[in-house]
Amino acid sequence: MGYLRRNLSLVVGIALLSALGLFVIIGHLVVDTSKSRPLSAPAVQAPSLAHPFGTDRQGRDLFATMVAGTPLTLRIGFIAGMLGVGIGAILGFASAYYRGRLDAVVRGVVDIGLTVPGLLVLILIAVSLRRGLTVNQMAIIVASLAWLNPARTIRAQVLSLRERGYVEVARLSGMSGSEIIVKELMPNLLPYLAATLVNSVSSAILASIGLEVLGLGPIDSPTLGMTLYWVNFNAALINGWWWWWTAPITIILVVFLGLFFLTVGLDEIANPRLRRVI
Amino acid sequence: MTTLLEARHATRIFDGGYFDRTSTLALDDFSLAIDGDRPSIIAVVGESGSGKTTLARLLLGLTSPTQGQILYKGQELQTMSRAVWRAFRRDVQVIFQDPYGVYNPFYRIDHVLTTPITKFGLAASRAEARASIDGVLRAVGLRPEETLGRFAHQLSGGQRQRIMVARALLLRPRVILADEPVSMVDASLRATILASLRTMNRDLGISIVYITHDLATAYQISDTIVVLYRGSVVEIGDVELVVKRPQHPYTQLLLSSIPLASPERTWMTEKPSTPVAATETIDHGCKFAGRCPSVAASCRESAPSLFQTDRDRAVACYLYRDAPTVTGDHRQPGRSR
Amino acid sequence: MRELTVSYDTPLGAVRAADRISFGLRAGERLGFAGESGSGKSTVALAILRMIQPPGRIEGGEVRLDGVDLLSLADEDMRRVRLARIALIPQGSMNALNPVLRIGDQIIDALRDHEIRMSARERDARVRELLESVGLRSEVAEMFPHELSGGMKQRACIAIAISLRPRVIIADEPTSALDVVVQKQVMETLARVQKDLGASVILVGHDMGLMAQFVDRLGIMYAGRLIEASPVRAILTRSLHPYTRMLIASLPSLEQKGTFNGIPGLIPLLRDLPPGCAFHPRCPDAVDRCRTERPGLREVRPDTWAACHLV
Repeated sequence: MGYLRRNLSLVVGIALLSALGLFVIIGHLVVDTSKSRPLSAPAVQAPSLAHPFGTDRQGRDLFATMVAGTPLTLRIGFIAGMLGVGIGAILGFASAYYRGRLDAVVRGVVDIGLTVPGLLVLILIAVSLRRGLTVNQMAIIVASLAWLNPARTIRAQVLSLRERGYVEVARLSGMSGSEIIVKELMPNLLPYLAATLVNSVSSAILASIGLEVLGLGPIDSPTLGMTLYWVNFNAALINGWWWWWTAPITIILVVFLGLFFLTVGLDEIANPRLRRVI
Repeated sequence: MTTLLEARHATRIFDGGYFDRTSTLALDDFSLAIDGDRPSIIAVVGESGSGKTTLARLLLGLTSPTQGQILYKGQELQTMSRAVWRAFRRDVQVIFQDPYGVYNPFYRIDHVLTTPITKFGLAASRAEARASIDGVLRAVGLRPEETLGRFAHQLSGGQRQRIMVARALLLRPRVILADEPVSMVDASLRATILASLRTMNRDLGISIVYITHDLATAYQISDTIVVLYRGSVVEIGDVELVVKRPQHPYTQLLLSSIPLASPERTWMTEKPSTPVAATETIDHGCKFAGRCPSVAASCRESAPSLFQTDRDRAVACYLYRDAPTVTGDHRQPGRSR
Repeated sequence: MRELTVSYDTPLGAVRAADRISFGLRAGERLGFAGESGSGKSTVALAILRMIQPPGRIEGGEVRLDGVDLLSLADEDMRRVRLARIALIPQGSMNALNPVLRIGDQIIDALRDHEIRMSARERDARVRELLESVGLRSEVAEMFPHELSGGMKQRACIAIAISLRPRVIIADEPTSALDVVVQKQVMETLARVQKDLGASVILVGHDMGLMAQFVDRLGIMYAGRLIEASPVRAILTRSLHPYTRMLIASLPSLEQKGTFNGIPGLIPLLRDLPPGCAFHPRCPDAVDRCRTERPGLREVRPDTWAACHLV
């Protein structure tokens, strides 16, 4: 408990994300999420008791839309982030520990891959898949590039760890390479992996929202990005339908702030030098 | 004599990398044989850059020689099968210099003791494993109740190093390579660790290769001493001979540079000591020529071979060129064949 | 120095790294502070220069240089004392050199910081003079630290330390990272510059052999306390405190092979010191009084001090 009091960022991050979680859970109990489909309510209504967040031009109840869409957006981010860190970790550990040709190949792919503008690649992929995208397909598309950065950073961490005395002692005690990776190296990197995961989730959400705003997302889903797409499509800003864009933007803000504080908090755990006491 | 572990004309060259043309000759044509039948303590003494750490890593199979061979029971390390490697890993153990980095901070210190037991199948049951661990901990003067279950940062450097010695004992090795085992331990605790090493040699018949820069502890613990300078052996033999009557100019320089804890103040004389040449690359000739007070023309032309000046000592210096050259490899340290 | 006490604040309470240290340094003398880890010797050196950083703080005592209490000086005045009156050759000083500045510039840096006004020619001459006095060629002024060997870097640090002709030079383990041959050269250099300046030297370290051969008087520290202080000959031939005796007995000799005599037990943790004498759990001669009453440092013979109930 005392530690939590010192690590304010962690607390704030968890608080923000928990608040969002509560919003979604309670929201699901309170409202009928089918109302997030078009023609569920009279169009372009300002917020009222019947429609706390108002409605949009296609007649979607925006409260229902937010409640239904937030978990979808988060899910994309989470799946893509997990896939990204998962693949990145496997490749990062393996290439850093075994070195040699595997390392050369992975390093080459990562170095080149990271120079390519990610959003551009994602757009090209999304465009070429002409049929409507599902939420899961979105996740996989984003994940296809999400593993590059984790692979590089995890590799860097493992490269320094593998020189430690205890790794040599483990080798001399008869442990195999994969055993050393799993039993000796990974436990020491758990905090770092957690921080990388949160980072990865953050970027994945951003990428997916980016694609959706451009209209390349799952058109029928009420995700946050798609809502913003419709905001643009219908010129909600100019028309003064402020409730339509404040809702998704506020939620996106909360998501990113929460993830940011969580990252800072986890970074402090992962890097003992940032800690304030012994 | 059955040779257990042997280096035969082992040379290790480190390349500079992409942009650096220079390569470093870390170890030059080094030969040494460790006798399986007569366990002894051999000290390898040298300063930084002498190649002693490279030698340790070569003997442990953590790196391979650029030229020459490292042999375990007559087999070259590179050609050994998995089964032989396992036997090698049991027979040859190590104690590293840094008593902190060898512990994984995630685990309690028990981990370094239980892992080899598990991997080498040294105990049939948990109780047996625990009994072995208790036994080796006591053998190095530690109390299991005070050490087990703790994390590395909760113990002192001396305790941590003793646990490493205990770990080495668990596998009942034939050879222990101790790479500066006490240099990072406080002076009052060093003696205890060194005493353990000597007991292991005397009572358990374990050979010890004691690698250090500290001639005083090397003298106290070893029977034979090898003096390394820039990767080459300059003097090798019985430790009493080498330390009391050093013959190679470098050995003499080394001994005269050691400050002794005695009331006589002979250490710093009025005349300044030999200038240290900044790292000059030596293509041929004796590596010590640049700093040697007795240097002659022949010293720069080609490197001297080892001359057997006593029954139990050999020196690589032209000052002793009248003595017979050591034939073959100087495998049995110092002893003429 | 009188009753100097330095403590560190830890989450588990305050810990005394140096506990009521008193000693006197004479002009031109070489004084040694020897001790193992946790003994407090480096803390004392840093405290003299008021370089103790939080969570450490100087809890009490006084440090007088030529009668002036350094602990009561204003920060700006203390800054002027550093290097000009008391210089420090820090531990690992080879890493204390700025890697992107040439050696000459680093020396000039120090001169400039103390508002020494010199023309460019005078400055260069002074740099050359300093480098020569530590046995370095004048070309070294144009070189960067990474181009020098360990011993040369250490001597460059000595040059910086003596650049303002200090009265006291504090050398904190100046040779622990160096080979024994280079160590001798560096210590010879230090001895020479000390003689030229007429300064005093405080050598902090753990190598008793080095102390024996270099210092005139030696103070032995254990667990933050000064437990013996005498001329070094006396300590080597007739030491008083059991710890000192056992420590010297544990040193490996090059004269003859013997048994290994370590000191059983462990150095106590500073936060968990035993009551009474800090050494009593490991002392073969301990009596009841040692367990309850902490011995103070007494002058047992002229100029021979020990903190032990049994002497």
